[in-house]
Amino acid sequence: MEEFEQELRQAFERRPAPPSLKRRLMESRRVRQPRSHAFHWQRLAAAILLTAVLGGGVVLHQREEQRRGEAACQQVMTALRITNHAFEHMNKQLAAHHRVSQE
Amino acid sequence: MAHDWQPDFEQLVDEHQSMVFSLAWRMTGDRGLAEEIAQDVFLELDRHLGKIESAAHACFWLRRVAMSRSADALRRRVVRGLDLWVEMEEHHGISVAERTSPLGARLEQLLATLPESQRAVLVLRYQEDLTPEEIAATLQAPVATVKSNLQRGLKLLRAKAANHLKEYVRQKEYVRGV
Repeated sequence: MEEFEQELRQAFERRPAPPSLKRRLMESRRVRQPRSHAFHWQRLAAAILLTAVLGGGVVLHQREEQRRGEAACQQVMTALRITNHAFEHMNKQLAAHHRVSQE
Repeated sequence: MAHDWQPDFEQLVDEHQSMVFSLAWRMTGDRGLAEEIAQDVFLELDRHLGKIESAAHACFWLRRVAMSRSADALRRRVVRGLDLWVEMEEHHGISVAERTSPLGARLEQLLATLPESQRAVLVLRYQEDLTPEEIAATLQAPVATVKSNLQRGLKLLRAKAANHLKEYVRQKEYVRGV
């Protein structure tokens, strides 16, 4: 078996890589690198912009909700005041009517 | 973790291109595909250069990624075994027989007919001279599995080589008889 393994070691020696491999590799690297940096910056800028837009949208939405809530609250208070006023008026009339009927 | 080793990409390519290319070629049996894999592996190394801590780490990383990319490439295509190997040898005009002994050339061709898992351990064992433990770390597989694949692959390859030799001797005798 050892002889066979020795034969395998000889048969499986590393092959020299084609000379074009390194040339193509260095060329791809040179072309890829500047674009890669620019691409990363563009992605970062896009992410920041998107976050700002989404964040702004959320804040605006919350403010609008708050404004509408306050308006609704004021309307309810006005309605309660009107109702209260009507009740007081009705109460006065009932009291007057009661006084007249007792006399 | 701080480390003093400063990786030089070009130097790493010079040192390891033969290893990466040979691993990819023996795993796929396709020279053109092996070149593409080697290129992808080194470009990925370039992207991960900051994480490489030493020369040994770079070598280990390249072996692991080369094997992994070769396995991915094999899964993506139909492997035609020996026919593919011979076809590609002819297509690229490089004869294995010119470079090594007839049995050695035949062994490389027979290697292409073995199952992928056995081929991987045999290539790492006899091309890279790794121990089963190192092969297990490279392939991220249990040591027991590596040892088993190594034994089975070796046995199968030896049987195939023996058949080839018998056939060769028979042909020689036949020629002498004629």
